[in-house]
Amino acid sequence: MSHLTDLTGLFGITSLLAALVLQVPRIQRLPKRHLMKLTTAVFAVSLIPFFGLPLAAYVRGMVGDLSITTVVLAWAVILKPCWETTEFKQRDHLLMLVALTAIFLYPMTLGMSLVDPYRLGYSNRVFVSCVLAIGIAAWFLKSNLIVLCLALATLAWTLGWYESTNLWDYLLDPLVATYALGLLIKQETRKLRPA
Amino acid sequence: MPSRLVNLRGFLLTLILLACVAAAYKLSRHTGPALLQIPAIAQSNNNAELTTHFVSSQQNISTHAASLIELKNGSVRAFWFAGSHEGAGDIEIRSAVFDGRQWSKERSVINREHTQQALLRYVKKLGNPVAARAPDGAIWLYYVTVSLGGWAGSSLTTMTSRDEGETWSAPRRLITSPLLNISTLIKGTPFTYSDGTIGLPVYHEFLGKFGELLHLSTAGDILDKQRLSAGKAGIQPVMLIEDPQRVLVLMRYTGAPPMRVIATRTEDGGQTWSAPLKTDLSNPDAALGGVVLPDGRMLVVANDIEQGRDALSLLVSSDKGVSWRTVYQLEEQRARPGTPDDFLRNTTKLALSTDAHISDANVYAQSVQRNQCVAEHCAYEFSYPYLIQTHNGDFHLVYTWNRSFIKHVQFNRAWLDARMKERSDVAPH
Repeated sequence: MSHLTDLTGLFGITSLLAALVLQVPRIQRLPKRHLMKLTTAVFAVSLIPFFGLPLAAYVRGMVGDLSITTVVLAWAVILKPCWETTEFKQRDHLLMLVALTAIFLYPMTLGMSLVDPYRLGYSNRVFVSCVLAIGIAAWFLKSNLIVLCLALATLAWTLGWYESTNLWDYLLDPLVATYALGLLIKQETRKLRPA
Repeated sequence: MPSRLVNLRGFLLTLILLACVAAAYKLSRHTGPALLQIPAIAQSNNNAELTTHFVSSQQNISTHAASLIELKNGSVRAFWFAGSHEGAGDIEIRSAVFDGRQWSKERSVINREHTQQALLRYVKKLGNPVAARAPDGAIWLYYVTVSLGGWAGSSLTTMTSRDEGETWSAPRRLITSPLLNISTLIKGTPFTYSDGTIGLPVYHEFLGKFGELLHLSTAGDILDKQRLSAGKAGIQPVMLIEDPQRVLVLMRYTGAPPMRVIATRTEDGGQTWSAPLKTDLSNPDAALGGVVLPDGRMLVVANDIEQGRDALSLLVSSDKGVSWRTVYQLEEQRARPGTPDDFLRNTTKLALSTDAHISDANVYAQSVQRNQCVAEHCAYEFSYPYLIQTHNGDFHLVYTWNRSFIKHVQFNRAWLDARMKERSDVAPH
């Protein structure tokens, strides 16, 4: 019997797969009603068992459960055709925050020193307070997407949405970190190019 | 200002404030660090006794990484992994029970297919199993699973048994790393804290190679993770708990020569750890096993050599791990590589000396030849020791015997004391 965390994990993966399909340029040009049908189809295909496991479970085996940040970004893509909004336009601020955090977190978790920042995610009061303080500061700065991601990630962590008991796993994952770092590098190299 | 935007801003403020309240509630329920617990051990009978057996009996397969747990009736249950070869998809976790005289027939506990069905994610192979006893009496089995790449891509999976290992719950995944949850492996003996929570010595192998300590709640959730070493030098920590405050951790050395066991120590119940240092114990990049006796002496089983795994020693330290004295040579085949025929003959003798009751020692030797001979070169391997002391004071040791079988050595305190007396003239190192 599956645990609830397996279902939430697969939901995250299928959300990402749907968002990736919707990012294909030729697909983006399809009419809105076709996009909705296509999204539904991607969800359905992702959950059809192949050799005993849903397709999404193979992806989950490789990448693990996706952070709430990744799922929020995926749903921003999925909902874009039916909910055009300018209120979540600060995506670059969020990705900058993710990239900077990833540069600090991932090398340290590979054993560079005896200090392990990942440990902070196990209910460290100072760390949790800092995350929430950034969320509140982002609200005052009108960085709505950062507020949404941090609030939902913290709530998901408190509710045990995934198997992980570590807050870091709800905040970011290697996929969104790679995407954010790639985007950051692309933007910086563009600035360096002569006009 | 459009009302839709005001509504969104209000919604986000409510959401972040709700997150604050929920986080405060969760943090208020988080338990602090607990003291380490020393198991109660009785004095065993006075007749010096050492017996050896084979735990596993399957022929012509690869067998490795055994661990033990004492059952409520005083029996001992072993777990190990076996399959066509290490890393194969047909590897399964197997188990057998020792009733004090002989081992039961081995049987499968879990395989790759059942694991991936239960975890709802692809699993490529299984690895090291280690069991722990929870305060409610349940046995928690932790085992390595790999979905991506080699052993460096490992994650931990766990399942529980409420009938001493006869039946098991569905496996569930432990999330221990932010990097695709890869590279947490297990080998060392778990221990309990005074509040019933479980300590699990684990290690990391992707790029860095270092020891870690997981602290799990009675429900099996991870409460904390501590790093015991850094860089690329030490894995497979073994906790030698002297008292509720003091612990010596020995680790397999994975760095450059000279090859020595790595050690770190705590004097405050695991709040802080000393910088890892090399000890005087040789180590050929191989696992160790160990326990602390009620009188404070430390007992370690290790390949106390710089190369190969063809010798296995039982060592004692009476000075809290500063110096070590070999009290018994469990295996010694350093001078006997030989041709495949010599290897077959010698392995047949070794199999018989391990367990005189086996009727097919030659078949045992052929299984070993299959795993340990490449062309004209054969190599002995005695590795991955796992040592426990049961409540009656007896010691039980299991280890990989030539990658083909699991060997069990049982001895008591009287035997150990007699060996120590005999070897008292040997210089410590």
